[in-house]
Amino acid sequence: MSDLAIRSENLVKRYGRDRGLDGLDLEVRPGEVYGFVGPNGAGKTTTIRLVMDLLHPTSGRLEVLGLVPARDGVSLRRRIGYLGGDFIVNGRQSGAELLGYLAHLRGGVPVARIDGLAERLGVDLGRRIRSLSKGNRQKLGVIQAFMHEPDLLVLDEPTSGLDPLLQQEFVGMVAEARARGQTVFMSSHVLSEVQRTADRVGFVREGRMVAVEPVETLRERAVRRVEIQFADPVSAAEFATVPGVSEVMVADGVLHCRLHGRADALLKAVSSHTALNLLAEEPDLEELFLTYYHGSAETVPAPRAGAHHGS
Amino acid sequence: MAVETLGVPRAPDAVTRTILTKTLWEARRSLIGWTLSIAGVGAMYSAFWPTIDTPEMQQAMAAYPKALLEAMSYTDMASPAGYIGSAVYGLLGAALVVVFTIAGGARAVAGDEEDGVLDLLLAHPVSRTRVALERFAVIAVELMVIMIALWLIMIVISGPAQLEGITAGEYAAAGIQLTLFGLAIGSVSFAVGAATGRRGWAISVASAVAVTGYLANGVFPQFEPLRWTRDVTPWNWFLGGAPLRNGLQMGDCGLLLAMTVVLVGLGTWAFTRRDIGV
Repeated sequence: MSDLAIRSENLVKRYGRDRGLDGLDLEVRPGEVYGFVGPNGAGKTTTIRLVMDLLHPTSGRLEVLGLVPARDGVSLRRRIGYLGGDFIVNGRQSGAELLGYLAHLRGGVPVARIDGLAERLGVDLGRRIRSLSKGNRQKLGVIQAFMHEPDLLVLDEPTSGLDPLLQQEFVGMVAEARARGQTVFMSSHVLSEVQRTADRVGFVREGRMVAVEPVETLRERAVRRVEIQFADPVSAAEFATVPGVSEVMVADGVLHCRLHGRADALLKAVSSHTALNLLAEEPDLEELFLTYYHGSAETVPAPRAGAHHGS
Repeated sequence: MAVETLGVPRAPDAVTRTILTKTLWEARRSLIGWTLSIAGVGAMYSAFWPTIDTPEMQQAMAAYPKALLEAMSYTDMASPAGYIGSAVYGLLGAALVVVFTIAGGARAVAGDEEDGVLDLLLAHPVSRTRVALERFAVIAVELMVIMIALWLIMIVISGPAQLEGITAGEYAAAGIQLTLFGLAIGSVSFAVGAATGRRGWAISVASAVAVTGYLANGVFPQFEPLRWTRDVTPWNWFLGGAPLRNGLQMGDCGLLLAMTVVLVGLGTWAFTRRDIGV
């Protein structure tokens, strides 16, 4: 028995060709929002399906809310709200029918809470699910995960398919859940998605935990490509000395560089010119991993050709 | 009953209380279709009886090779019980019921799993055993609805179609044995689907069992060394005792029921032990 919300030790799951987990150690504290981040195929969904008892571990230990999923699945799932990577339901029913059914399976949920969430997210529960957009279907998924105010929320890529306004609403819901003392375990292949909500972020890669960091530390470490378009010509030399900035290049009045950590120094240097446009790319997860392997951004090799940025 | 709101049928709150009733509600239209088809087959073949029951037709039937008639279970076309037992219950009715229960058995676990809708259900505080058993119970309830409809239509049409000598109890006996037979075949499909999560395998294996079992009842036994195969086929447990003539055959019912219980149990057990949706 442990006091942790989720705890795994040397968790191994082998299946398929080379999917699965290869000795994952995971510690999610009660009451925290834990962002579980890694490239596609790293083992995020596998971990979540093990937590939900949809998969059985090959070896290792896994405890969720002090219980073993493979043994106490039913009582455990009573305390969990789950949103899978694909929220697929029979499209011939209305949202109200689906949520009423799921609420009954949980032994009842106040109708006012369901209606409140539907109103907040702006989804019409009277409509046939088949006639809803992908985003509106995803809202039903969010509602069913949150509606019974579970001790633990397990969310697999929850904001995929939600437009930016709703992502903001979702961030608010996660913050409120945290304020109520609920634990949130959410995965993403895009760091910024969990960065806004998480207290700590765990990086998984090839079925192993690479690093676990408080989210502020990540913000400091993040390396991103920045492009700034100026009204007047600028010189590369002027920016090369700015702290945190490297690989400076100027072409056609556009500054290209890499920014490591805080943006403050760069912005102050920019402010003496007239900036027309600013583009900052999503920090690349691969690059962020490499900073852990090598200790500092200066030794980070240039991103490989084709290295992919989350969208 | 359903309340229409903006063209969307609203399920009564009561049907969303269990997996069984929710699944039945979702399948209501398809169930009406199956009921009309199978009861319709019963009515249609019954209506042909007066044309079968003529000297010309009986002579024509007698001219067919005995082996062929045996293969079709058309061994007694001279009495209403023989004709209805073969045509309605033994051949077309049985074929439709087998298609219905194989499809239902494959859908119960494997179909929903392949469609991706099983994940959400299993993420709720329900055991896999409960999910599997309620899903199988759906097939049993649906088949009972169909068989009660067939029973009613046979009783109604019996007089006008001059089907003398078959009692309501004998129609019920044939219907019960057909129900148990359908569930036994459906449990093959259910068990393979629950154990593997593959709808295709469920349908293939169950269809192979149904067809082989059919041949073992009417064709293989014509070849002396294979006479024993008739004793181990569910088709014989259904038709061999001629329930429409002799009433309910408790031994045969027991065999069909045992087959169902064992296969549903094995399938459910395998389902609780494996990974979902891999």
